[in-house]
Amino acid sequence: MKSLLKVTNLSKSFGAVPALRDISLEVMAGEVICIIGPSGCGKSTLLRCINHLTFPDGGFVELGDVYIGREPMAGGKVRMQSHSQIDKLRPRMGFVFQQFNLWPHLSVLENITRGPIKVQRRPRPEVEADAMVLLTRFGLADKATAFPAALSGGQKQRVAIARALALEPQLMLFDEPTSALDPEIVKEVLLFMRELAESGVTMVIVTHEIAFARHVADRVIFLDGGYVAEEGPAEELLTNPKNPRLREFLSQIDSPVMGCSA
Amino acid sequence: MTLDFSIIVDNWQLFAKGAVLTLVIAFISIGIGFLLSIPVALMALSHRWWLRWVSGAYVEWFRNVPFIVVVYIFFYGLPFAGVRLPEAVVGTLALAIYASTYFSEVIRGAVLAVPKGQMEAARAVGMSYFMGMREIVAPQTLRLLLPPSTNTSISMIKETSILSTITVAEITYQGLVVQGATFAPFEVFMTTAVLYWLITSIFARFMHGIERRAGIAQGGNQNRHSLADKYLQIGTKRVQE
Repeated sequence: MKSLLKVTNLSKSFGAVPALRDISLEVMAGEVICIIGPSGCGKSTLLRCINHLTFPDGGFVELGDVYIGREPMAGGKVRMQSHSQIDKLRPRMGFVFQQFNLWPHLSVLENITRGPIKVQRRPRPEVEADAMVLLTRFGLADKATAFPAALSGGQKQRVAIARALALEPQLMLFDEPTSALDPEIVKEVLLFMRELAESGVTMVIVTHEIAFARHVADRVIFLDGGYVAEEGPAEELLTNPKNPRLREFLSQIDSPVMGCSA
Repeated sequence: MTLDFSIIVDNWQLFAKGAVLTLVIAFISIGIGFLLSIPVALMALSHRWWLRWVSGAYVEWFRNVPFIVVVYIFFYGLPFAGVRLPEAVVGTLALAIYASTYFSEVIRGAVLAVPKGQMEAARAVGMSYFMGMREIVAPQTLRLLLPPSTNTSISMIKETSILSTITVAEITYQGLVVQGATFAPFEVFMTTAVLYWLITSIFARFMHGIERRAGIAQGGNQNRHSLADKYLQIGTKRVQE
């Protein structure tokens, strides 16, 4: 398998509080990675530092063979890319927010097409046709002209995923995509994400759904205190955790209620 | 005491001229003031401290000084700097700058009221900060902007009366002229009051109309996109099969 995303020695502090310490990880093309860990351990910060919604303090992010943000130069020097350069690279990674963050003043179709039209400057008819194909595939074609306020939580999150996919990203980042959803809708979205994973999309998912991680992820990364505390194949890591913190974490979080057993 | 409103009828042309000038000055200075306030507000929202500082100093200075003093500073100060302009122009300029400080606070508040996630979602699809502001944040501020802008604009319409002190021949100035000639202050200033009231209340009505329409526009009564219709038909056909 080909390496797609490579994070090297990534670090980030908020004031004096370190959020990420020396994080390194690699994601292969087509792989699904779940990042788990207690709240405040830096999961969301890691995801946001990867696509540079938040700028990391140190370390490197490499997507394919392109650096984003900090770029190593000859002689051990580091060059910081310009903001517009980073803006251009950012949509190569689709980002899905916990709170969906759909744009309420735009219709579902416009939510999806605004990025490709304005950022990639692709022709509107083509972008709209592609968006309708996505919406049809996601079972949301009849919602194309609806506004986000008229959608259920699960539909909102699917539209948000479609919005990210419309830019044809190489990689999808999910920041707790089901944490803001009603319990009965969580399963709907998780099943949908599993389908997405099975279609070959490379995904990095921050989640609290351990059962989902077990069934869908190829690898699981356990973050604790800003460090990668343990990392390994999903089944192995979740069944036989070596790290005592992970063992404790799993015993507290893993309940039989969690869905996606189908 | 008997009231003699024939004085007003005899001098109606002066009042009419004054009303027109008040309207023109208010319209131009509110327009320029609002445009000017956009960069001031953007600077106030910047993450660069020195831009925030410049914007803050500008707003603090002009907002915390009475308008009449601002007018005097411009009126007597500009000739010192070698700039000689007609008093109506100086007055309009002073009011535009004064108004811009109020409008910039209105805009800043409206932008801050849009949830942070909106801009983040814009950045996530590759938009720059300014594109995100233009495409995503600004349209969402419009509804938030309208009521306080109407309020501020009405204040600014009334502030034009201060320009009578630098001999700009707007409503209040004409009132003073007529009063000086007729010694009928009650009739004269009741008339000027009614003129101001007419201008501001018509303006407020007009803005309420816009507010209502902006409210409806958000409700989702938009025409269905033709392309969506095409796909919708596919969807229903499938269901029927």
